[in-house]
Amino acid sequence: MEAESEFKEYYAKNMRGISGWFKARAYTIERWLYAAHRITGILIVLFVLAHFYSTGWHPGLWWDALLGIIVTFHTANGIRLILAELGFAVGKPLLVKKPSQRPVSIEGVQRYLVVFALVLFFVLAAIWAYYALVVQPMMG
Amino acid sequence: MSSEEAKEYALPPEVLEETIRASEELWKPVRKIKFRIYKYNPRKDYAPHWEEHELEVSRGMTVLDALLVIKGEMDHSLGVRYSCRMGLCGSCAMMINGKQMLACQTRVLEAAGDGDVVELRPLDNFPVERDLAADFTSFFEKHKAVKPWIIRNDEVELNNPTGPYKQTVDEYARYYQFTDCIKCGACLSACPTAATDYEYLGPQALAQAYRYMVDTRDDGLDVRIPIVDSEHGCWRCHFAASCSDVCPRGVDPAQGIQLLKKLLIKRKFGFKPHKPAEALPAKVKAERKE
Ligand code: SF4
Ligand code: SF4
Ligand code: FES
Repeated sequence: MEAESEFKEYYAKNMRGISGWFKARAYTIERWLYAAHRITGILIVLFVLAHFYSTGWHPGLWWDALLGIIVTFHTANGIRLILAELGFAVGKPLLVKKPSQRPVSIEGVQRYLVVFALVLFFVLAAIWAYYALVVQPMMG
Repeated sequence: MSSEEAKEYALPPEVLEETIRASEELWKPVRKIKFRIYKYNPRKDYAPHWEEHELEVSRGMTVLDALLVIKGEMDHSLGVRYSCRMGLCGSCAMMINGKQMLACQTRVLEAAGDGDVVELRPLDNFPVERDLAADFTSFFEKHKAVKPWIIRNDEVELNNPTGPYKQTVDEYARYYQFTDCIKCGACLSACPTAATDYEYLGPQALAQAYRYMVDTRDDGLDVRIPIVDSEHGCWRCHFAASCSDVCPRGVDPAQGIQLLKKLLIKRKFGFKPHKPAEALPAKVKAERKE
């Protein structure tokens, strides 16, 4: 009986739950970045917990590069989010709208910020990977 | 108008013919589309199920038109909410092929794209009323929670106005964009934060809070700050911008929320966006009842 009412409530409420964070299809690139930011954020927390448990613990060569991807993405996108959320680069409210006006906060200057964040991510991730995969093993 | 004049204003026959032809073209059935419709009555059904209907659609047919044909001819029990049919009342927002849109503003062929299936669901993250109609009670409560009206301290002037409040075009431009909101709920439904936080005020309410906070006629900045600067307030937004992406009226609530955050931070440093506007002397003097 309990299970049945829960089941009913689930459909009546129609909440997407955690899957809603990752429902990025059909939306703009910012939504994908949002989903990726969530995942990388959670993974960083998990890594830090493991790291606290034993600071000597090291994930190993390729994992190290993966960790680099996670951290650099979170950093680069974080810079974009800080700027956007403090109200920079989202543009000004419009006085005149076109018939099917697209939002200025997405398709205005903010898009350059997206490009900037992605480029920064690739550069940082490449440097990290180079260090983790080439320099580190050389130094033993 | 005399018949002579009427002739002068009438369309030339070839233009008239072209107009009629174009409109016939628009309403001529061109393709068979399959509609997958979510059917669920939370008071009766154990679980939702899908129903499929096939319909010949024309280029001009909107999803709402199609739903009304289906309701009239195939499934009378279909629950769908609509009113104005022209994108002004905000009743008909639903998930059309997985994205929040107004049924009356989306043409079937546009929604179907290259495929021939249109899938219709009630809005995500809203309780289901029946079939495609969502329950807006909490949505409207959230809107009300941010006090979406002009707050002023000069009771006397407010209740017995002597003239209009002063406002320049630049001041009007600060908030005009947000006044276009029709409370369709698409933005809250698209928001990933709302998917897990039931009490999140949501893009609609937060954008409206900003709209009133920067209105020069308003003096309620400090009244609204504790409401939006709360656990379920504007800091829950992480700029996924899907709210602005789906907004059918170009309200751009994501922009409003980010500007709201900026305003809150500035306020912490003692900044106030404006002094409440004064009333201009009216051209026609009204007699004040004290
Ligand atoms: S802000 Fe846009 S999407 Fe949200 S309720 Fe208003 S009109 Fe609808
Ligand atoms: S910008 Fe904020 S309010 Fe809008 S969808 Fe994203 S998280 Fe939600
Ligand atoms: S019926 Fe009014 S907005 Fe669609």
